[in-house]
Amino acid sequence: MEKVKKKKKSAALRSEARWAWFFVAPTMIGLIILNFYPIISTIVQSFYRTKGLTGQTFAGFQNYVTAFQDSTTWQALLNTIKYAIIEVPFSVVIALILAVFLNRKMIGRSVYRTIFFLPMVCAPAAVAMVWKWLYNQNFGLINNLFGSNVAWVNDPNITWISIGIIGVWSVLGYNIVLFISGLQEIPGDYYEAAQIDGAGGIRQFFNITVPLLSPTTFFIVQTRIIGALTVFDLMFMVLDKTSQALQKTQSMVYIFYQYAFTNNNKGMGATIVVILLVFILLVTFILQRLEKKVVFYN
Amino acid sequence: MKLRKLIAVLLCATLVLGFGAMSASAYEVTEINVNIWDNNQLAGLQTIADKWSETSGVKVNINVIDWDNYWTLLAAGAQGGTMPDVFWMHSNTASMYMEEGLLLNLDEYIAADESMDLSRYYEGITTLYSMDGSQYAIPKDHDTIALLYNEAIFNEYGVDVPTDDWNWGDVAAATKAITEASGGKVYGYAMNTSNNQDGWYNLIEGYGGKVITEDHKGTTIGSDEGKAGMEMMRQILEYGVPQTSLSESGTDQQFISGTAAMISQGSWMINAFYTADNAADFKWVMLPYCDANGNGQEDPGERVSAYNGLGWAAAYNVADPQACYDLISYFCSEEGQKMQAELGVTMAGMPGISDAFASAFEGMDVSAFTKIEETGTLFFRPYTQNTPVWEDAIQQQGAFLDAWLDPTNPEAMATACDNAQAIIENAIAQEW
Repeated sequence: MEKVKKKKKSAALRSEARWAWFFVAPTMIGLIILNFYPIISTIVQSFYRTKGLTGQTFAGFQNYVTAFQDSTTWQALLNTIKYAIIEVPFSVVIALILAVFLNRKMIGRSVYRTIFFLPMVCAPAAVAMVWKWLYNQNFGLINNLFGSNVAWVNDPNITWISIGIIGVWSVLGYNIVLFISGLQEIPGDYYEAAQIDGAGGIRQFFNITVPLLSPTTFFIVQTRIIGALTVFDLMFMVLDKTSQALQKTQSMVYIFYQYAFTNNNKGMGATIVVILLVFILLVTFILQRLEKKVVFYN
Repeated sequence: MKLRKLIAVLLCATLVLGFGAMSASAYEVTEINVNIWDNNQLAGLQTIADKWSETSGVKVNINVIDWDNYWTLLAAGAQGGTMPDVFWMHSNTASMYMEEGLLLNLDEYIAADESMDLSRYYEGITTLYSMDGSQYAIPKDHDTIALLYNEAIFNEYGVDVPTDDWNWGDVAAATKAITEASGGKVYGYAMNTSNNQDGWYNLIEGYGGKVITEDHKGTTIGSDEGKAGMEMMRQILEYGVPQTSLSESGTDQQFISGTAAMISQGSWMINAFYTADNAADFKWVMLPYCDANGNGQEDPGERVSAYNGLGWAAAYNVADPQACYDLISYFCSEEGQKMQAELGVTMAGMPGISDAFASAFEGMDVSAFTKIEETGTLFFRPYTQNTPVWEDAIQQQGAFLDAWLDPTNPEAMATACDNAQAIIENAIAQEW
């Protein structure tokens, strides 16, 4: 009896499983062809020494030894982290505050929302070019407006901040949209109750909004960290090859591009990317551990 | 019934048209895709290509892709087997593409083509595009360097304008005079570390150094001669546009906007200055000579200019090699080369027919570019197997950028020369 039952169930299950496979297949095939296969071939490539355009010879860990011995690699990793330190916290905090304001009933709300979201629909390269001109030391709008003479994108000590500001500006809209949708999930009852109990706006923000929004915040922080660690276009577009700030600003992906596409050294390029991948995995792992402690799931 | 008739008529028409098309062309293809990287040359080259299409019946589509992406795309196409049919080759990468077997070997087509005589072209360019006795590209053009100055600035500050008799020391003196007279508002000269072929390479070679030695396996940039050339450069930089400003707005911008009174530039850039608003103030003279022995007069070999030439190449796997070769052959024929010069596209890849180029820019005297070929010495743009590796590195920190940032310090420039020597030697050692 039991045997029959089991068999029957498994037949239904099997049919269900077949359909499940059928439905997930497009995504899986896409992932395998476009993500997994390139990841594995990149890792394989990192163990080869590139010869010319297509030739390669197995080199073991030679590329990794070269990369770890080269101070450029460590500097680039540090530059990338510095960029993330500017971009992630500021874009999250500013976006949260703006989202709270934009979530209230006010005149011209959709106009403001559109304005803040506009940078997201601009091509990143175009954004970088416009900022490059704003920052220009001699002819730039910023220096002319304030009568200052700051080398915004040439002084090695401040360029990483200038680049970070562009990053914050361009992802603000995206974060705001996510925060607004998170805010709308919070039931109004909490605020009413708080008001009756006499809590002011700031108290409400810290005791209701922030904890109840923490899943959204965590999601944004996590995706933005990964995004910031893979930054490339801003440095590439804003900084000239002869800029003295380049070495103190260039990101990991920037030196990957330099190796792989300018120097035609695909092996070293792959090595840099694998190092970055491991670093991102590490950061993500730590974040996942933190999630249980800081995120408040209702 | 009616429908059937209609179909029959249509079929006949296609047949006739098909035969018509076939008889008009001896080739297997009806279109050839051409990639280039210079938008300034598009109109002129399309005119020449259209002329070839008239007789061949093969349409030529020319696509412009900017310099950086051109090489990324070409490399990606080479790995994926989808290169354009016909395209430009450059000294930076030619030997790599030839060694990889990615370019069509033109030997049998050249042998069968009576009008083609490789000895007519600039030897350096022909050699560059050949390997183990086989030819992989045919010289398209050549370029030289000249000195460009803004006459209005010289007049405003009462400084004598440059002449063909100047040496680099005169340039340094004029640079100082203008920068000091204007109180730093206008600078006498602008040169960035990235102005190599059109800039400081010429000083190294003029003083007897070699950026890359004849065998393409070494350098003497750190020798006394190389250092003497760069010391001359430093004296100009001392009063030139500061490098911090150059890395944000390039030398061309500084010159056109009137911030710099002099720059050196290559013949491929003429159009950018010819079409500028205040082009009437812009004048070209020959590149100054290097007074290496200090006797105050020009001696043989002291006036040098870098030259380089592009080559027309075809992909190894094109559908119809004969059609591609015939197009290349037409571009490089005397007729094609003359048209190229007359249309002001570039100077020709063969000597003796570039005079038309000098008169292509009405109202602007560009004879300085052709004059230096007769009175000066030309050296080929330095290259090795994988040029971009060291060419980029010596422009940056750890090499010449350090000296550019500290132009009052002769020690910094000498150190930069030593560092560049080490960088180039190391890069060559990594080649295969």
